[in-house]
Amino acid sequence: MSDAVRVTWLRRVGRNRNVVAGALIVTLVVLAALFAGAISTHNPQRLDPANRLRPPSTVNYLGTDEFGRDVWSLVVYGSRVSLLVGATTMALTSLGGIVIGLLAGYYRRLDLVLMRVMDGLMAFPAILLAIALMAARGPGVGNVVFALSVVYTPRTAMLIRSTVLSLRELDYVHAARALGRRDLAIAFRHILPNCVGPLLVQASFIFAYAILAEAILGFLGVGVPPYVPSWGNVIASGKNVIREAFWVSLFPGLALTAAGLGLNLLGDGFRDTLDPRLRVS
Amino acid sequence: MALRFLVRWSVALAAIVLIVSGVAVAQTPRRGGVLRVGNLGEPPALDAHWTTASITETLTNHIYEGLYSLDATNRPIPMLAESHSVSRDGLTYTFKLRQAVKFHNGKEMTAEDVVPSLARWGKQSIYGKALFAQVADWRAVDRYTVEMRLKEKSAIVLISLAVPNNFGAIYPREIVEKFPPEVKVTEYVGTGPFKLVEWKPDQYIRMVRFDDYKPRNEKPNGYGGGKTPWLDEIRWIPVPEVATRVAQVETGELEFADDLNLDAYDRLKRTPNVHTIISRPYYWLVAVFNKKDGLMTNAKLRQAWQAAIDIEPIMKNVAGGHAEFYRMDSSLTPVEIAAWHTKLAGLPWNEHNREKARRLLKEAGYKSEPVRFMTTQEYKWMYDFALLTKQQLEDAGFTIDLQVVDWATLVKRRNNPKEYDVFTTGMGAFYDPTHHIYLTATWPGWTTDEDILKLQAELARETDPKKRMVLWEQQTRQFYEKVPVIRYGDLFGLRAMRTSVKGFNERTERIRFYNVWLDK
Amino acid sequence: MTAYLLRRALALVPVLVVVVTVTFLLIHLIPGDPVSVMLGPDATPAQIQATRQALGLDRPLHEQLLKFYGRILRGDLGQSYFLDRPVTQALLERAEPTLVLTCSALFVAIVIGVPSGIVAAAAPGSLWDRTLMLAALLGVCVPGFWLSLNFIYLFAVRLGWLPAAGYASILADPLAALRYMVLPAVSLGFSQSALIARISRSCMLEALAQDYVRTARAKGLPDATVTWVHAFRNALVPVVTVIGITTAILIGGAVVTEIVFNIPGLGRLIISAVLRRDYPVVQGVILLTATVYVLINLVVDILYVFIDPRIRYE
Repeated sequence: MSDAVRVTWLRRVGRNRNVVAGALIVTLVVLAALFAGAISTHNPQRLDPANRLRPPSTVNYLGTDEFGRDVWSLVVYGSRVSLLVGATTMALTSLGGIVIGLLAGYYRRLDLVLMRVMDGLMAFPAILLAIALMAARGPGVGNVVFALSVVYTPRTAMLIRSTVLSLRELDYVHAARALGRRDLAIAFRHILPNCVGPLLVQASFIFAYAILAEAILGFLGVGVPPYVPSWGNVIASGKNVIREAFWVSLFPGLALTAAGLGLNLLGDGFRDTLDPRLRVS
Repeated sequence: MALRFLVRWSVALAAIVLIVSGVAVAQTPRRGGVLRVGNLGEPPALDAHWTTASITETLTNHIYEGLYSLDATNRPIPMLAESHSVSRDGLTYTFKLRQAVKFHNGKEMTAEDVVPSLARWGKQSIYGKALFAQVADWRAVDRYTVEMRLKEKSAIVLISLAVPNNFGAIYPREIVEKFPPEVKVTEYVGTGPFKLVEWKPDQYIRMVRFDDYKPRNEKPNGYGGGKTPWLDEIRWIPVPEVATRVAQVETGELEFADDLNLDAYDRLKRTPNVHTIISRPYYWLVAVFNKKDGLMTNAKLRQAWQAAIDIEPIMKNVAGGHAEFYRMDSSLTPVEIAAWHTKLAGLPWNEHNREKARRLLKEAGYKSEPVRFMTTQEYKWMYDFALLTKQQLEDAGFTIDLQVVDWATLVKRRNNPKEYDVFTTGMGAFYDPTHHIYLTATWPGWTTDEDILKLQAELARETDPKKRMVLWEQQTRQFYEKVPVIRYGDLFGLRAMRTSVKGFNERTERIRFYNVWLDK
Repeated sequence: MTAYLLRRALALVPVLVVVVTVTFLLIHLIPGDPVSVMLGPDATPAQIQATRQALGLDRPLHEQLLKFYGRILRGDLGQSYFLDRPVTQALLERAEPTLVLTCSALFVAIVIGVPSGIVAAAAPGSLWDRTLMLAALLGVCVPGFWLSLNFIYLFAVRLGWLPAAGYASILADPLAALRYMVLPAVSLGFSQSALIARISRSCMLEALAQDYVRTARAKGLPDATVTWVHAFRNALVPVVTVIGITTAILIGGAVVTEIVFNIPGLGRLIISAVLRRDYPVVQGVILLTATVYVLINLVVDILYVFIDPRIRYE
C-alpha cells in the first residue's frame, strides 16, 4: 500500500465519529486497567465486614458489597481481567485466523479440509464449550480464552481466506509471482495489508464478545475464582442482594455495557471507513 | 334491668362462642392441597443409609421411618417399635414391633424386614457403624420381635436408632437384598406417611400421601408421635439460586423455601402473606483439618489458626449483619440440645490473639507454605466464612490458597488426603456425644488422636448420664487442646412460608411436612 | 435446484464428522484419569481397571474414536453417571423448555427487530431512525443476564406482574407457560433484537436504493407498496442469515437465562452435569447443540434458494 493511500486511510478512520467515540471509551477502560492502583481508593480484595452493603458515599464512591469490599475499586480492577481475556482472545483468533486463512487461500487441497474443519468448529456455542471445558479442566479464565478462540478463529480464517482468494488473481500479484517472489513474501506485502480493514472490524467485535463471555462465565461461577475482581464475579455477588444493595450489580453491569459500547462503536466505525462492503448503517 | 343484663351477657357469650368456633374452624386441619417446597439442590441419594447430607435427611424422613424417633426434648421415643426391654446385665435389648404397619407396596412390616435393614444400616451409616461395632448378635425372635445382643454395655442404642440423619430406615427385605450396602438404593419403598411417586432430577421430586398410613396414637411430639399426612402431595423443587427461592415465596409460586440468605430477612418480614422462621440450631460452622497428610498434621499450626481468628465479626457477616441469626458459643453441642450443652470457661476458643498465633507459627516451623483451603459457593455461608478467615489468617502470617469448588467435588475430594489441607462444612445437631463425626478416625479429616478416640469409646460404654457428662466436658477441653477441627459459632437459618401453610413445627432442626395442612 | 440442495446436504457430513470428533476429544482433554474421577477416591485399582475395560477406555485412541462414531450413528449417546438413564433420554426430557425458550426469544427478537429496522430505514436520518438505532446499539452492548436480573426485580418483585422464575409446559398449561416465558424470552431476545434491527435497517436501505425501487416509485406506486412489497422481500435475504447466526447465540445465551429463571432445560442440564462431572451428558448436550446449529444453517441455506433466485445457479 502506498504512503499516500495509507494516509488517506488513517484520515478517514480518524474522522469517523464512531471510531472516535469508540476509541475514547476504550482508551478510558484501558487507562483504568493500567492505572488501577492509582485511581482505585481501596484494595479491592480487602474485606471489611463492618462496612458491608453501604450505599455510594464519599468514602466508597460506588458503595460496598456484602463483604465490605469497595465496589469502585472492584470495578476498576475488574477491567484488568476483562481486558486480559479480550485481548488474549483477540490476539489468538487473529493470529490463528491469519495463519489458517493464508494456508487455505493458497493451497487448494488444504483448503478443502480446513474449511470443513472450520465449519465444524463454528457450530459450537462458545459459552457451552467453555462450560464443558470446565468439567475437564476445572474453572478458570483459560477455558474462556480457549473456547472463544476455538469458535472465533474460523471466522477470522474465512475472512482472510476470502481476501486471499479475491486478491490472488490480481495483476500485481501475478506480476510479483512472475518476478520470482515467494508466496510468503507476497502474502505479507500485498495480501495482508488489504486484510487489515476487515481484520480490525472482526477483532473489535471479538474483543467485545470475549469480555461479555468472561462476565457470563464469571456470573455462572465457572470463570476466574470468585474472590478475584472481575465484572462477572461482582455482578454475581450482587445478585442475591439486588434489592438491598442494587449498586453492587449495577455498576459492573454499566461498566460492561460501556466497554461493549466502545468496542462496538470501534467495530462499526472501522467497518464504515475500511470496508464499505460490510456496511451496516 | 335484669333483662338488659341478660341480653348483654348473651351477646357477649354469643360473640365468644363465635370467635372460639371461628378459631377452631381455622385450626381444623383439612385434607388436600399440593405443597411446593423450594430446596437448594438435588439430593445425592434417597437412600437414608447412604449419606449424611441434610437434604437426604429431610426427604427420606417423609418416606421412611426407623424404630425410634426423637421427641421435642431430643430424646428417643418409639416409632416403628412398640416397646423395648433391656436385660438385667444391660447386654440384651429386645424390641417389640408395631403390628399391621404397611409398606408403600402393601406388604406388612415385620422382623424379617427390620433385621436386614438395620444390618445394612450398620454397615453403611456412620451412626450405624458406631452402634454395630458394639453388637455381638442381631436377629429376629419372632414375627414382631427383634433382639440385639451387645458385646459390652452401651449408652447409645436407643439414641442411635432415633437420630434422623443417616438413619436406620426400615426397608422391605426384598429391597435390602437387591441393594447391598455399597450400592445406592434406587427403589424407594418405606412405611412413612408419604410415598415417592416421581423423581425428575433438577425438576422436582413428588411425594403423595400414603393412604394406608396408620399414625401412632400420640400427639405429635418433636420428630415423632402421631404423623398425619393432610397434604395430597409435597412437591420438592430444586431452586439453586437463593434469590429466586426468595422471590418465589414472595410471589406465592412456592409455599415454602428453606436455606434462605439472611439479607432477605428484613424484606421477608415485611411481606404480607409470608411468615419467616428463624431455625435454631441450623449449622455450626467448622473448618476441618486434614490430619492424615500434609501441613495440618502439625498440631501447632492448627492451634495457631485457632488462636488467630476473631470469630464474632465473621459470624456477624455470615448472618447478614443480624444479631438474631448467630450465637457465639464454645460448646460442642448447641444450647437447644440441653442434655449435652457445656458451659466451660477458659477454653482457647475465639482468643483472637495474633501474637499467640505468630508465636505458634514460629514454633511450628511454618515457612509460609500455602495452605490448601477448600470451600464452595453452593453453601453461601461456607464461602463467606472461608473468605473472611483467609483474610484474618493472612494478617496473622499464614499463606492461604483458597480453592472454591462445587459441593460435589468438595465431598469427593475431602475423602482424599492428598488433595487438601482444610475444608469448610457445617455440623448439624448431634444428639449424643458419640455421634460427633469429626471425632472419629473414619470421617474426612481423620481424627486419629488416641486420647480423643479413647474418650469417645468410654462415652459409648458408660451408661450413667452424670458420668457421661463429666467425660464429655473432659472431651470438650481436649478438643480445644488438640484442635481436630476449628469450631466457629452457631449459625441460624432463615426459612419462609406462606401464611396458608398451617401446622408446621418450627422447633425442629430440619423441616417436616407431616401434620401440615394448607388453608386455602 | 435439487442438485444444489443435495450437494448442500452432503456437505454437512464432513462438518458433522468434525463436530463429533471435537466432542469426543473434549473428554480426553482431562488431565488425569476420567475413570477414577468417576468412581471416586475410594475405588480400588481393580475396580478402576475393570471399569476402564468395561467402558473400552483402555483401547487406543483411534479405536475409541471409531467406536464413538458407531455409537453416535446408532443414536446411543451413552449412559448418564448421575441420572441413571441413557443420555438420549435425559436430553429429550430437557429439550422442550430450551426449545420453547429459544423460539420465544427468537420470536421476540424478530418482532421487535425487523419492524424497528424497517421503520428506521424508511426515514433515514430522522429522529425515529436515530433513536431506534441508539437503542439498538445499547441493546447489543447490555449484558443479557444483567438485564434478566433487573427485569425480575422490576416486573416480578416490585410490580408483581409476572412470576419471578419457573417453567410450565406449553402442552400442560399454555396460559401459565406464557406467563413464565415472558421475562426470560424478552431478556434473552432483547439483545438479539438489537442486532436484527441494525441489520434489517441496513439491508432495507440497500434495497431501497436499488434501481427497481426508483422505477417502482417513478411508476407512481404508493410508498407503502414500494417499501413492503418490493424492498422488503429483497431485504429478507440477509435477515434470514442473521436469524441463523442469532439462533447460535441464543443457544449459548439460553444457558444463563435458564439459570437465572430456573428453567429446567438443556442449559441447566449442562451446568449440573459439569458440576457433577457427568461427562456423557456434557458430551451429549454439546453434540446436540452443535448439530442443531449446523442443521439450522442448512435450513437457512434452503430458505435462501426460495427467496433469492440468483443463488440457484451457483
